[in-house]
Amino acid sequence: GRDGGAAQPGLSARSQPPRSCEDYRWEWKHCRGLRHAFHHYYTHGELPACDRWRDDYEACRAWERGRAAAAQEALCKSERARVMEKQKYPPVWTLRKSPPPDWYMPLDQDKSN
Amino acid sequence: MEQGEAASPPAARDKLGGREGEEEDDFGYRLFPDRNKKQQSFLVRSLFTFHNKCQLMLRMTLDTNPYAQLLLEAMKQSGCTVFNDRHFSCENCDGCVSGGFDSATSQIVLCQNNIRQQSHMNRVVTHELIHAFDHCRAHVDWFKNVKHLACSEIRAANLSGDCTLMNEIARFKFGLKGHHQTCVRDRAIRSILAVRKVSKETAEKAVDEVFDACFNDLEPFGRIPHSKTDAKRAYRDFQNRDRYNANL
Repeated sequence: GRDGGAAQPGLSARSQPPRSCEDYRWEWKHCRGLRHAFHHYYTHGELPACDRWRDDYEACRAWERGRAAAAQEALCKSERARVMEKQKYPPVWTLRKSPPPDWYMPLDQDKSN
Repeated sequence: MEQGEAASPPAARDKLGGREGEEEDDFGYRLFPDRNKKQQSFLVRSLFTFHNKCQLMLRMTLDTNPYAQLLLEAMKQSGCTVFNDRHFSCENCDGCVSGGFDSATSQIVLCQNNIRQQSHMNRVVTHELIHAFDHCRAHVDWFKNVKHLACSEIRAANLSGDCTLMNEIARFKFGLKGHHQTCVRDRAIRSILAVRKVSKETAEKAVDEVFDACFNDLEPFGRIPHSKTDAKRAYRDFQNRDRYNANL
């Protein structure tokens, strides 16, 4: 996370939560739904754990109400952990720095569309 | 040529005329016989209703399907804006194949003779756009590196809706607990075997080696979209990604 320029110890320069609190609430409610439970079991072979979304939603609400430092830190820590979980495996390929050079090249045949 | 969906095992490969002891890999192009032919005139193409129907269904997908819209937006952000006329082609194909991505021409091929329903078109377009997205954002060695091909096929099967329970039941493949992963693995292997002259063991080994990394690479969705609701939510998250990254 970025903590540059903090005016008080423990508070960061972040102006708002990473997601809107409504988004956290939606994720929590969605996670607890029957349809999602089925999809999660079908995909991963186990039922989902939704408490984390609930904790994130509560931290977000606390952030919005009073910019509580502990709530900010807890929420950002949880989101950073989500990002790290996605980067757990070494990539199979190298990412490009620019798009393929022939993406826009005209085709050999005439296209009369 | 990366193949989107074959309902049957690939046909036996023919040896090219007279070569002893060496079969040439056609990279799947035999499934798309119209790829290297001179295109028929507009009038002739218009007379075939399959072509018109394919174009109409494609337009519907690109305009209304949230999976496709997210992929198009993500590709645009990566510098690969997709143009209907340039990057899509409705053609007749062999066998039961539904579509493919031709990395040599940066074109998505849609098999107009095999795609009959809008839901199928949605899924094929999403599947092929995932290949196109991978081509756009990474140095994917489609022709020489089986692991790269395997990775893109795993991602396409995982994220396009190919492996929903209903689709699997329609194929008479039954399973529930964790069956999605079984389906993704099997379909990736079948896709590799259809377009590359490699043994089943080689294909299986490549898929197994990259499975964990590629099954968990959910870009640009950020989640496995099991429905249009999930896809719309993923699109929303994609649009808000700047806020997300700035406030971590």
